[in-house]
Amino acid sequence: MNQRIIAAIVRKDLRVVRRSRALMTPLIVLPVLLMIVFPTVFTFLPRIIGGARTTFSEMFRNLPDPMKQQFGEFTEATWIRVVHTQMLAPLMLLVPFMVANVIAADGFAGERERKTLEPLLYTPATDAELFFAKLLAAWIPAVMIAFGGAFIYAVIVNVTAWPVMHRVFFPDLTWTVMVLWMAPAFAALGLAGMLLVSLRVRGMQEATQLGGLFVLPVIALVVGEVRGAVLLGPLRAILIGLLVWAIAAALLAFGIRRFRRTTLVGKL
Amino acid sequence: MPAILLDHVLHRYGDTTALRDLSLAVEEGEVFSLLGHNGAGKTTTVRIVNGLLAPVSGTVLVFGRSPLADGAIVRRRTAVLTESPTLDDRLTASETLRAFAEMYDVPRVDIGPRVTALLAEFGIADRAKDRVGGFSRGMKQRLSLARALVHDPDLLFLDEPTAGLDPVATQQLHDTVREMARARGRTVVLCTHNLVEAQALSDRVAVLGGGELLALGTPAELARRITPRLEVTFETDPARHGDAVALITALDGLTVAAERSGVLRISGIPRERVPDVASRLVTGGIPLYRLEPHEPSLTDAYFALQHVSKGSA
Repeated sequence: MNQRIIAAIVRKDLRVVRRSRALMTPLIVLPVLLMIVFPTVFTFLPRIIGGARTTFSEMFRNLPDPMKQQFGEFTEATWIRVVHTQMLAPLMLLVPFMVANVIAADGFAGERERKTLEPLLYTPATDAELFFAKLLAAWIPAVMIAFGGAFIYAVIVNVTAWPVMHRVFFPDLTWTVMVLWMAPAFAALGLAGMLLVSLRVRGMQEATQLGGLFVLPVIALVVGEVRGAVLLGPLRAILIGLLVWAIAAALLAFGIRRFRRTTLVGKL
Repeated sequence: MPAILLDHVLHRYGDTTALRDLSLAVEEGEVFSLLGHNGAGKTTTVRIVNGLLAPVSGTVLVFGRSPLADGAIVRRRTAVLTESPTLDDRLTASETLRAFAEMYDVPRVDIGPRVTALLAEFGIADRAKDRVGGFSRGMKQRLSLARALVHDPDLLFLDEPTAGLDPVATQQLHDTVREMARARGRTVVLCTHNLVEAQALSDRVAVLGGGELLALGTPAELARRITPRLEVTFETDPARHGDAVALITALDGLTVAAERSGVLRISGIPRERVPDVASRLVTGGIPLYRLEPHEPSLTDAYFALQHVSKGSA
């Protein structure tokens, strides 16, 4: 594969994304909300709504036994640990998923809609080079934003929780596994889903609507965490990550077989 | 070795036959036009030749290689200017050319000078750092052509290249095509509805209709083959019109009509009878100020062909 051609397409696609306000807005707002606003607000939530302390204690009493055993009785420190290492953790996976999803939608369906795909098909890039370039253009920024966001998240959590925790307690092992192992997997899932959808539809709007359905596994994980049905530990995080990688790989393998100039040109 | 060889190529979109047993060869260094109505098969041909479509049957070779098996190698030597400017509005003119130069694997050291030269050649140097979204249609078309030339292709496809261009830009494009073919030996395939342009630029033309090759040859050959009779106008003394008409109508099968004062037009005259007409007028004492045979144009031939094709369909 010609790496120079791949790099040229990736650079072009990223430049195009960077200059689109419509694309950049969700790409900035979502990470800011999930990686900066949420950790700040949730750390201070018991202080902000002090009267609800009993409600939190009640909620803790209703947590599943394994979680209660892990975190013990309600204190502000427990709250901070539960919120950041369990409840909010899976939300972080939305970031790589959505970033990859949005960029992939622009790279596949968006490019077709703008009629800029045809000149790409006339270049010497092979089908495989085009495919990998489009994947990397979505996956690399998704993972970079996830890693960068996770670092900022960790700093914010430790800083805001310092008066209570008096130590650097975050990230724990589970969260580290989630960031380094699960986040890239969810980014791959997000773009694989979008790739499959984009091969079938003509427009960006259609693609984002259908491609967004692939977010359901993340939502399921978040709900499971909040309800205590899925208690993430390092091993479980590795296994879930492995499952997501496997699904993403299967979808991408299916996609690469369908990603042919001769097929794409029919949709122009 | 021809630049393009199509041998009994058949292509279908579902139940619709887009190309039917198309065979033709485009020689290196020639300007070749594909003419035809919308849906005649021009764009399909360009896509097949560049490996974007796989024909149902038949052989396609570009510089001796199959565009499907050796697509990357073939496309490195070709370029396509699509009908509408397919540029990304969010890139600048300079970024567009650089990006495609990289994709065509132009040596890094050559990219800067080549981009600068193309921007200057197509009159967009002062807008090099502006985003394409703010360009007029004509500027976009010029930038598209610059993009097509960024890797100095051996074979250039131009699909309706002058659509939306002003007369100056159109002339510039014609000059570019001539320069590419005549001075640099490049092959140019022009897909157009503009018959005047095709006649002016092309060495040979192929007329497609309903996916079939209706005719192939030089514009003049085609015109003569399809419409072998000429029209002749001559100018004489208006006072001698009656005598002139009488002399000509005495010749078998010729009709003459007054075009304007002093100018008469003879229609449908076989080429070999033009000297006879001139001789008869002179020997008949008719003052002949000017006699001008009008060659049938490619436009005449094209419409005659399409008419025949429609009639036989």
